[in-house]
Amino acid sequence: MSDRSNLCVIKVGGSLLKDSGSYIEAAKNVKRFVENNQLPIIVVSAAKGITDTLLEVAKGSVESFNKVFDVYTEIARELGSQRVFKRVLDELEILKRIAYSVSGGYDPSLQDLIVSFGERISKILMVEALEVVGVRALELNARELIVTNDVHGDATIDYIATANHLEKIVNSIVSTAAVPVIEGFIGATEDGRTTTLGRGGSDYTATSIAALLKLNDVYLVTEVDGILTADPSIISTARIVKVMSYAEAMEAAMHGAKRINPKAFEPLEKFYSSTVYIGSWRLFGTKILQVIPGECKGPKVIMHKTSHEMPYIAIIGEGVANVSFIKKVVDIIYESGVEVMGLQTYYYRPSIIIHVKRGSEISTLKLLHRKIFEEVE
Amino acid sequence: MKSINVAVVGFGNVGRAFVKTLALKRKTLSEKYGININVVAIADSKGMVIKPSGLDDYEMLKLCEVPKSGIHMFGSYAKQGVDIAEIYDKAAPNIHVELTPANYATGEPGYTNIVFALKRGAHVVTANKAPLVLYYREIVEEARIRRLMIKFRATVMGGTPFLEMLSSMKSHDIEKVEGILNATTNYILTEMHENLLDFEQALRKAQALGIAEADPSLDIEGFDAAAKLVIISYVIGKPINISSIYRESVAQISLKDVLDAVKQGHVIKYVAALDAQKMVASVKIEKVPRDNVFAQINGTLNGVRIKSDATELFFIGRGGGRIETAHTVLDDVIEVALRGSA
Ligand SMILES: NC(=O)c1ccc[n+]([C@@H]2O[C@H](COP(=O)([O-])OP(=O)(O)OC[C@H]3O[C@@H](n4cnc5c(N)ncnc54)[C@H](OP(=O)(O)O)[C@@H]3O)[C@@H](O)[C@H]2O)c1
Repeated sequence: MSDRSNLCVIKVGGSLLKDSGSYIEAAKNVKRFVENNQLPIIVVSAAKGITDTLLEVAKGSVESFNKVFDVYTEIARELGSQRVFKRVLDELEILKRIAYSVSGGYDPSLQDLIVSFGERISKILMVEALEVVGVRALELNARELIVTNDVHGDATIDYIATANHLEKIVNSIVSTAAVPVIEGFIGATEDGRTTTLGRGGSDYTATSIAALLKLNDVYLVTEVDGILTADPSIISTARIVKVMSYAEAMEAAMHGAKRINPKAFEPLEKFYSSTVYIGSWRLFGTKILQVIPGECKGPKVIMHKTSHEMPYIAIIGEGVANVSFIKKVVDIIYESGVEVMGLQTYYYRPSIIIHVKRGSEISTLKLLHRKIFEEVE
Repeated sequence: MKSINVAVVGFGNVGRAFVKTLALKRKTLSEKYGININVVAIADSKGMVIKPSGLDDYEMLKLCEVPKSGIHMFGSYAKQGVDIAEIYDKAAPNIHVELTPANYATGEPGYTNIVFALKRGAHVVTANKAPLVLYYREIVEEARIRRLMIKFRATVMGGTPFLEMLSSMKSHDIEKVEGILNATTNYILTEMHENLLDFEQALRKAQALGIAEADPSLDIEGFDAAAKLVIISYVIGKPINISSIYRESVAQISLKDVLDAVKQGHVIKYVAALDAQKMVASVKIEKVPRDNVFAQINGTLNGVRIKSDATELFFIGRGGGRIETAHTVLDDVIEVALRGSA
């Protein structure tokens, strides 16, 4: 076995990839890792908005195809080399052929195939951007490496088969010392049909690669510096959560937290407890560990859900279900006179759920955030 | 450690998968078998790279990222235009790997390349069937007089070592070889049966998935399967001519035919058969009972039955697929490297 202690995984989210400048920006940041003697495996999403546009292409929209064509050819042209431009054109040509053959109605396998081009082309662009900034880079092919079941649109990774594939290439990765770039979100069945992993699937790809290769660090890069204590569009004073546990992250995801994909933690729970860093190129503000030290326990995130029959507020964190914290919450609510319709906690779950009357969820959320996160000691 | 220099001519699906597979596996291969396989030249239709000292792993993987017909764009060692002689003059390969497209009218460019390589003392491995179908005797004779090997197991059921097994049955009198030898048409028929698509829809889906070519006529008109029968016939020593093979076109199958067959407990299959006793061969549309082995060979799988005077064998596996085929080609290369006097 070769030395893989310098390997890590970096997922570059689509929200960051808007134009040629953002690919170069991402590449420069990856270069910093390389200069620090790390060899990151890059998991790349489709450029911003492309996945949704490709879903329209799969429904037969010619206009949407043209949009994808324009976005990607422009980035390719601006990145400079004739080679990559031609390569992107080749891919778009294949996409076009597939798109024009789907007129015969909805077919989930063709939809996955069409959508997969978002990541496929983005990968080519990312490799080129890396080369432009002077980093040796190589393409990996998710459809050869990431094996999934055949649930099109929401496939699950076959960890054993995928681990076998990854093990076979990892030595080459280390020995060529080139940064490998792989598509997130896509994979293929054992018999070669392209699949997609569902929303947030790139995170799932990233954590699976890390867990299966037993790598210590996974960086999930987005445009926000980390996970926040609350939705900043509602609570401007929300701040970054520095440390979380897998259980807390998954609980938050269950209640609809953005930027966390519950599936992404499965391989980490099953195979290897890599540390997940969430943040931006500027700051990886949140670190997610399997087990957090005692002093890090307590409330982490507060959120509300209105789409539910009865709106509720969820306070998430290991230890929030203990009696003293429950009492604190009850006291806050009691003193403020909020009308509570129900309160739910279980000792084994890292959350408290407070059902409130429709219309009062935002004010209650603000109140609890202030009392719990802002007026501490 | 024995070093072997390989030239790869044809850098499409199979060519790229071959170079990539070799880049990823050659270290293990050298540890296992004591052979060092170097790629000293690669050509596509528009250009070539030549590096007499051998491309390194990174260069090989990077080459697989050039666009179609784009080898000449690969910065170092690359040039526009193809000149096989230049490859031989500069890099003197020991093994020539021919992965160009099949042209059954002329056998070119494969035939000229193969003969050239043999004349220059290189063993040949080919996945291109056309030169063998048209000039089997000439090629084998050219190799024999020079004590060189010509290996082509990727030409029939390319993702499997089927031909190797067939040619190893030397004591047998092979009476019949029949089965499903074309992956594209089998996929189309499977779609017609399972998803009730008509022929055109199934073909379009196969094209979308990259299973069928933009011009699928070689598969649909039975030419590809017939070419495979010809190669099989040479391997078992009962040569037949491709023009003597009776062919039917799958394009004539309608969805109604499929439904009628299913109602009668049958499925429709496109069966290639070589009767080595009567010396007749055909590629025909057949109704096969649902419990027959061939009825279970679906999608891009291939399946063949070999009947000899001593036994009956079934062989099932992926007919093509670039990665599988690349492995078969690489197996040939390894065998030549191990056995050859190169
Ligand atoms: N695909 C399979 O699964 C499979 C299985 C068994 C056997 N085969 C056989 O293997 C061969 C290759 O298949 P493929 O799928 O890789 O075909 P392909 O994708 O069409 O690739 C053919 C390659 O040959 C190159 N070429 C054409 N004319 C040439 C010339 N005069 N000199 C040098 N290169 C030339 C092409 O160049 P450009 O790139 O510039 O066009 C291309 O790189 C075919 O004969 C096929 O029948 C294929």
